[in-house]
Amino acid sequence: MKENPMAMQTDSYDIMAQKVIQEHRKVKWFQLRRLLKRKAAFLSLIILVLALVAVLFAPWIAPYPEQGQGAVNLEHRLQAPSPSYFLGTDVYGRDMLSRVIWGGRISLFGGVCIVFFAALIGVPLGLWAGYNEGISGAVISRVVELFLSFPSTLIAMAISILIGAGWFTAIIALIIPWWPWYTRLVQGEVLSIKQTLYVEAAQMLGYGKLYIIFRHLLPNIMTPVLVMILLDLGPAIIAIGLLSFIGLGTQPPMADWGLMVWEGAPNILSEWWISIVPGCAMFMVVIAFNIFGDALKDIFDSKG
Amino acid sequence: MNNITLNKNLKPASEVEPVLKVRDLNVAFNIPRGQAKILEGVNFDLFPKEILALVGETGSGKSVTARSLLNLIPGRSGETKGQVLFAENDLLLMSDKELQRIRGNRISMVFQNPQSSINPVFTLGEQIFRLIRLYLSAAVEDLKQKTHCSQKQAIETIAKEKLNEVGLTDIKRTLKLYANEISGGMAQRYRIAMALISSPEILIADEATSALDVTVQAHILKLMKDLCKNKQTAILFITHDLGIAAQICDRVAVMYAGRIVEIAETKKIFANPLHPYTKGLLKAVPKLGKNEPLSFVPGIIPDLVNPPVGCRFHRRCDHIMNICRKQKPESLKFEDNHNVSCFLYKQNHKENRHE
Amino acid sequence: MFHVFYTNKITKKTDMNNPLIKLEQVNTWFPNNKSILGKPKFWIKAVSDVNLNIIEGECLGLVGESGCGKSTLGRTILRLAPLYSGRIEFMGEDIGQLDGKVLKPYRARMQMVFQDPKASLNPKMTIFKVLSEALHLNSSVAKENYLEQAVKLLDLVDLRPEHIFRYPHEFSGGQQQRICIARALATNPKFIVFDEATSALDVSVQAQVISLMKNLQKKLNLTYLFISHDLSIIEHVCSRVAVMYAGQIIEVQDAGSLFDTPRHPYTKALKNAVPIADPESRKELGILKGEVPKLSDPPSGCHFHPRCDYKKDICSKKNPIVYKIDENSWVRCHFQEELWQQGVLINSKESL
Ligand SMILES: Nc1ncnc2c1ncn2[C@@H]1O[C@H](COP(=O)(O)OP(=O)(O)OP(=O)(O)O)[C@@H](O)[C@H]1O
Ligand SMILES: Nc1ncnc2c1ncn2[C@@H]1O[C@H](COP(=O)(O)OP(=O)(O)OP(=O)(O)O)[C@@H](O)[C@H]1O
Ligand code: SF4
Ligand code: SF4
Ligand SMILES: [Mg+2]
Ligand SMILES: [Mg+2]
Repeated sequence: MKENPMAMQTDSYDIMAQKVIQEHRKVKWFQLRRLLKRKAAFLSLIILVLALVAVLFAPWIAPYPEQGQGAVNLEHRLQAPSPSYFLGTDVYGRDMLSRVIWGGRISLFGGVCIVFFAALIGVPLGLWAGYNEGISGAVISRVVELFLSFPSTLIAMAISILIGAGWFTAIIALIIPWWPWYTRLVQGEVLSIKQTLYVEAAQMLGYGKLYIIFRHLLPNIMTPVLVMILLDLGPAIIAIGLLSFIGLGTQPPMADWGLMVWEGAPNILSEWWISIVPGCAMFMVVIAFNIFGDALKDIFDSKG
Repeated sequence: MNNITLNKNLKPASEVEPVLKVRDLNVAFNIPRGQAKILEGVNFDLFPKEILALVGETGSGKSVTARSLLNLIPGRSGETKGQVLFAENDLLLMSDKELQRIRGNRISMVFQNPQSSINPVFTLGEQIFRLIRLYLSAAVEDLKQKTHCSQKQAIETIAKEKLNEVGLTDIKRTLKLYANEISGGMAQRYRIAMALISSPEILIADEATSALDVTVQAHILKLMKDLCKNKQTAILFITHDLGIAAQICDRVAVMYAGRIVEIAETKKIFANPLHPYTKGLLKAVPKLGKNEPLSFVPGIIPDLVNPPVGCRFHRRCDHIMNICRKQKPESLKFEDNHNVSCFLYKQNHKENRHE
Repeated sequence: MFHVFYTNKITKKTDMNNPLIKLEQVNTWFPNNKSILGKPKFWIKAVSDVNLNIIEGECLGLVGESGCGKSTLGRTILRLAPLYSGRIEFMGEDIGQLDGKVLKPYRARMQMVFQDPKASLNPKMTIFKVLSEALHLNSSVAKENYLEQAVKLLDLVDLRPEHIFRYPHEFSGGQQQRICIARALATNPKFIVFDEATSALDVSVQAQVISLMKNLQKKLNLTYLFISHDLSIIEHVCSRVAVMYAGQIIEVQDAGSLFDTPRHPYTKALKNAVPIADPESRKELGILKGEVPKLSDPPSGCHFHPRCDYKKDICSKKNPIVYKIDENSWVRCHFQEELWQQGVLINSKESL
């Protein structure tokens, strides 16, 4: 029944490899399909894709691109939603739809930037600190603890004040207190994976630290990191808005969603759309990221 | 509190009401290649005061059975069908809240890896005190009245008593330790003590002793036997070690690829194994002092995404008949307390087919 | 077909009578330092003063209480655990002090198979990746030949070539353990430590894996150290058995005679605690009184004395010397001769 492997032709290995790669794709597709089967997750994905398309193609999609960027239009101040101004206009007569689309550029770009760089800094440090219990690991852990013992927003504000206001500096100011969360998450995961026998088996084969970190630890911590990235995008968008509101983030005439909500707040009773429209946009995107991240987490969790 | 009235003047085991009835339990997991039908039509009863051994091939579904008895299989990863009747209530239909009142209280579980199932953040003392406060508040009050001591002293006295029962010594010091500071044997005994605080009606031990050496194991086995005798606890003992099954268990259930293929009194199954898989399994047991070569059941457990039609053992069976490839063998009553699912025994026993 | 497995980088000749591995006064202590200055508050003496020879081509069993240091001894030989003091000779060369690059060729010659096959395979790596990672250490295999060699390895452990691009979770426990064995064989080792390698498997699959191990041993001329709790499987697999208690080896005997004629009170206790797979001969399992000794502060004199039925005053004061039974067996007990003549250690035989 058993074949003699020597009798096999070499090209059959390629065929074998092909088959397995196909099977592998099927696995990935299976997970995706399970994800999309959840209505909520599917809906979230659609919202996110729409938002992304809108901000990427803002100059073509926004009805009044100049107004979106801040040009005033004083003769149409504070108009309620109408066919020519779909979502109404603000105090300077700017079209809300265009404003929301342009504001989304900062909010989404900023959110993604913050989370991406926080992970980029935090994950490798977490890997190193988790795997090395020596001095370098201890130093990283202490620094992380230090950061986590102060409220992140407070740190971000302080840094913003130091390096100056503006949407770009706000993003940097937010990355700095954000990465330690990733370090802490990864470090915890690594501590438990480190003890598994396959890591010991690799050590037995004489592989070095870096090899083990990148080949054995990293692939096995990617899932929780990915989920955390998705769950963090919403809070990051809100945080930029907060900084903008206290004057440390996006500077007028540009705006991000958070800033727009605050700007419209005084008129909420009469001209409700000025706050509600960007608020809704923010709310929908944040919730969509959350639902999508949650669904992803569920699906990965249930595999174990 | 107990819905089950335990019969003090014991009738023979078969006439006592079982504490746990498992009926047609099916578990399937969704995996990329399709649905893996891990358990198919598992039926058994667990009687008070008995130790039921569950043995079988690696991957045959013993741990899945144990977990599904407590409804611990998450709904999103798989599908659980059938009934697990505990005190006339179906555990599989209960809400999380109801289940919480049963898990760890009326049905306890001990897992194979003891150290990782103890919370590393609290001392052993803190953890056991909390459980005592939760489950033994009456006993604590009682002791307080009797000895006029403080609440704390009373709890500690009870904790010491409980840990003494499992054979731990130097308890005063032990209570101050953390999980990583005790040995595997100590951790396992501590876990068992914790599992027993609530005087559960059922204890599920999933390979609770396979990481322990024989001397520590002997102690734990004795403990379980005493427990069964003195507190009427029913124990489901999952193990690979047929020596343990022979020494302490009253009945043995043999599982193969998600089905219970044979279930019988221990003596009967060792003296007269019926199912071809059971026979092969018993032949593979290494015996101390008899150095004959080990035999084994050739082949491997089938793929459960596309399980073999008919008898799931047929690809490895020496006695295969035509019918085995077509029809699922039902459980037949071979004699009292000895059931087997195999067509070899069907002809002779057609008339007393079990249920 | 297995020519690759015989090319040796280390070409030192070993005599059949010479031990493949020789341990002299080996100590493995783990520092338990909670203080900031890095000064250990106390040491966990997981292995203390072990002298042991492992003869080429044999299968040496290692039994003992949970936590007595068996795995640590195995890992010390493979230089995975820190050596505190002592000498480890492999094929006549002291490898105890080697490090880094110099150690690498020796790493290839000594491998380990762990208890839990599932946990010892990275879930994100295909079997091919797992094996090529190990083949990397075998300098006689070129990178282009990894696939071919991996298929050969799978054949060696009775797995089929189409399994090679699958992930570990698609295999049963027994198959996973075969993959681990294949990984260990990939580096062309001379010596393999099996650390409770069959205790997660049921008896039938265990028998399959054991028979595979035995065949491989013959075919590839391997030497094994087989750690297990299961005395009956030890008796089946091993030619000699070492018994460990609280970090020390207390008895070494041929597998055939060890459980028939245990020479040390602890070995007797072990034997009495084995549950026999025969419900007709139910017996009270022997329970060892007392607590498991602390390795940070082992009992004085004979480590076993607080739990020994035959102890006398001297036991708690003086370390027992080694009593040689014959060339390859010895026991460590003050009253070994007396007990042997009284026959107290073997009288429990009929209860089996
Ligand atoms: N969450 C899950 N998702 C998919 N498959 C699972 C899951 N849990 C268990 N399985 C599969 O179910 C089968 C039975 O597993 P189970 O752990 O019950 O075996 P077992 O009889 O306890 O084996 P062992 O003796 O090795 O402990 C295995 O093939 C396993 O891969
Ligand atoms: N890396 C380590 N650091 C500190 N202590 C350790 C380390 N590894 C092992 N020990 C300690 O050394 C002792 C011996 O452990 P070891 O794992 O060798 O025991 P064992 O005989 O293999 O036990 P088991 O049968 O339970 O596997 C234990 O007390 C353990 O706590
Ligand atoms: S039913 Fe048929 S195939 Fe299955 S065990 Fe019995 S004889 Fe063998
Ligand atoms: S030396 Fe003494 S205490 Fe130790 S085993 Fe021998 S008789 Fe027992
Ligand atoms: Mg299991
Ligand atoms: Mg060990």
